[in-house]
Amino acid sequence: MSILKVDNLCKNFGGVQAVNGLNFEINEGEIFGLIGPNGSGKSTTINVICGLYQPSEGSVFLNGKKINGLKPNQCVDMGISRTFQNIRLFGDLTVWQNLWVAWKDDKNNQSSWFSNWFGKSETREKLISDLLKFSGLETRANDLASNLSFGEQRRLELARAVASKPKLIFLDEPAAGMNKEEVKELRDRIFRLRDLGITIFLVEHVMDLVMNVSNRITVLNFGKVISEGNPESVQNDKSVQEAYFGQ
Amino acid sequence: MDYYLGVFQTIGVHTLLGLSAYILLLTGQVSMAQIGFFAIGAYSSGVLTVIFSWHIYPALAFGALLASFFAFLVGFPALRVKGLMLVIATIAFSEIVRLITFNFVWMVEKDGIMVGADGAQGFREIRYFTTNGWESSQVVTLIWIFVVIVMAMLWWLDRVKAGAVLRAVGNDELAAQSSGINLTTVKVAAMTAGGFIAGLGGGLYAHAVSYVDHITFTILMATFAISYPILGGTKNVFGTLLAVIFIQGILIEAFRFLEDWRLIIFGLLIVLVMNFMPDGLVSAFKKSTSGKDK
Amino acid sequence: MNIEFIDIVQSLIDGVLYGSTYALIGLGFTLIFGAMEKLNMAYAASSIGGAYVGLGVSVLLSLPLYAIFLIGPIGGGLLSVLVYICCFRYLPSNNHLAALMASIGGLFFIDEIISHETDGSPLDFPELGIFSEAYFEIEFSDMFLGFRGDLIFVMFASFLAMLMLMYLLYRTRLGLATRAVSQQPVAAQLCGISIHQTNSITFILAGVLGGIAGCLAAASVGVISPLLVLPLTVKGLIVTVIGGLGSIRGAIIAGLLVGGLESVFLLLRGVNERDIYVFLLLFVFLVFRPNGFFGAEIDRD
Repeated sequence: MSILKVDNLCKNFGGVQAVNGLNFEINEGEIFGLIGPNGSGKSTTINVICGLYQPSEGSVFLNGKKINGLKPNQCVDMGISRTFQNIRLFGDLTVWQNLWVAWKDDKNNQSSWFSNWFGKSETREKLISDLLKFSGLETRANDLASNLSFGEQRRLELARAVASKPKLIFLDEPAAGMNKEEVKELRDRIFRLRDLGITIFLVEHVMDLVMNVSNRITVLNFGKVISEGNPESVQNDKSVQEAYFGQ
Repeated sequence: MDYYLGVFQTIGVHTLLGLSAYILLLTGQVSMAQIGFFAIGAYSSGVLTVIFSWHIYPALAFGALLASFFAFLVGFPALRVKGLMLVIATIAFSEIVRLITFNFVWMVEKDGIMVGADGAQGFREIRYFTTNGWESSQVVTLIWIFVVIVMAMLWWLDRVKAGAVLRAVGNDELAAQSSGINLTTVKVAAMTAGGFIAGLGGGLYAHAVSYVDHITFTILMATFAISYPILGGTKNVFGTLLAVIFIQGILIEAFRFLEDWRLIIFGLLIVLVMNFMPDGLVSAFKKSTSGKDK
Repeated sequence: MNIEFIDIVQSLIDGVLYGSTYALIGLGFTLIFGAMEKLNMAYAASSIGGAYVGLGVSVLLSLPLYAIFLIGPIGGGLLSVLVYICCFRYLPSNNHLAALMASIGGLFFIDEIISHETDGSPLDFPELGIFSEAYFEIEFSDMFLGFRGDLIFVMFASFLAMLMLMYLLYRTRLGLATRAVSQQPVAAQLCGISIHQTNSITFILAGVLGGIAGCLAAASVGVISPLLVLPLTVKGLIVTVIGGLGSIRGAIIAGLLVGGLESVFLLLRGVNERDIYVFLLLFVFLVFRPNGFFGAEIDRD
């Protein structure tokens, strides 16, 4: 079942055509990879879908509903969340607060407006703790986010994206700067998110990761799709090899 | 004794002014509009007690609410300007308010004399406290009760989600939005709350000193308001209080020896503190505000 | 009072001519913002201060009147670089707030020193001699539009100053360095350009410009007073915002616009309300075009 559909998406900045007629569909529950050389438009694609930029042309549909032009926080309300290429945590807030700020209660567990903004809730606190445990950050709950190690910060960013109860998460180069151990942990975490029913859109350069976790991959170059398919077929596609390595 | 009461009074009122700028600074908004809201609170509550013979508490409440209403209105255009531009826009707002008080005339005759606001001459005879038998010490205590209440509420705010959300917005608007936070709601709410606090401060000040005029509401005062949370840092409310005590303490002490070199000293003080402690007296205020944002 | 269209045009003319001083001040603000992404709140203060220095030195040394217009800009430049050293040089470059506060401190400091040294009372400032006597008239379907000689001189002098600035910025190595630093400070350093030297020079240039503006503004009304400082600061900021932070063209056009409109508001609503409308003009701009005439298009980001 299609959860995200991108239809002839275009985005230009002045004279630069960053994204040029993108078409793809993502199915619920899958892990979808987007790769391409630097400057191919991967981050721009995420930024447009998640509401940072307005598309110059084309549309984005989430569960059949058009979400062009929605602001980022409205996209979150619709069930999307994301991480950033350059970590954007709230450095002056604690780990706990970083999650708290993004936290959305479950549908069947909604607290009142007042309780949400000004109150405390044991259920909520337990659930946030669980999320911390999931991310391996339960010992750091009261530390400032700016004091975390790089790996911990990456885990916190992911956790924060999960905190808003998304149906679809966009991961923007989550493995950048990670060593092999950390990449393995990230892979496991991605699988666990999928098992929880979250669809994952992964933009990545680290081929180990993206080839191992993705169900399908789309390859971008100069803002256009040049190949799609499962990891094996994409790896063997000549046009992909050309894009990365030249003739 | 009266001398010290005067000092406490000044520190109390300035703390309210500083706190109203503090809550805005948490969201990353550097506002010079607080003195404008202060003026609205001062004049409106003054009109109510002097011309309509209201009791002080409803008058103060009305003044604060009216100020917060205007703050709410200002909050929206404020969303469109970032960083230093907001500083300029809020300076313009405060100046508009000041010029309006310069032209504001509303006088009625009571017991044979004319009372009320008299344009450039200012608003005299705001004598609710004296007429109703309040001692100076009681007035100062009232001011400080409000200061403590506001500080307590702001301190409590940091223990609930609302405070974290405010600071998240101040830290990184983009990340905040992408985490589901509605920037408009948060920033306008902060502006409204700041307006309320400033309006309250204005009302208390007007009645405590019984005379306000447009000179009370200059850019200098707007600068005092924003310099407290900047000097004190945004870590917690006590920083602002400390900054008020520090600046006013030095100014008042200096006043004893150097008469009217206050502004020269204030100017020098700010320049020195900023050079040696650019992140504020108490602790770090890391976020930089820039006209060309992100 | 019967205000005719011709009166409005007349006041517009006077205002635009006078507005060239606002353009200069706006230019100074925008130059400094363009170079350092910071607002120098003490700028108008150092400019008026320069005019005071010009007056003071000339009187002390009994120099002929035109000396004021030479010493004033020099004084403005000196004060401006002093402001740079005290309020910008030693502050961390990414802490815009500290620089803002420090320059506000500088503003009050200079303003109060001037007030103190002059006991707060205005001083006579020489008017523009023969120019203030001159008066040109143009007949316009049997109504007259007058052009004050001294205001024409003000505009002329202002434009000369702007031209010299443009020449410096765009045709000399110094200007090249300034522009390089403003666009890419780190890269400029790597090319061997000294940031602090370049910024100092930017401040000096702006200061000289401001000193000229201060002298011209004082000369066209015949008095100089510390009370000029705050209004000039606010007007200068408004001009900078309307023109677009960092835009030279914008500052010039906005300066003339604000000068002209201010004069018309004065005619229509009197001196007490005039400024309210100027500030409202600012708000209108901020709502519809937050980046001014020539600032970059605002993005949702």
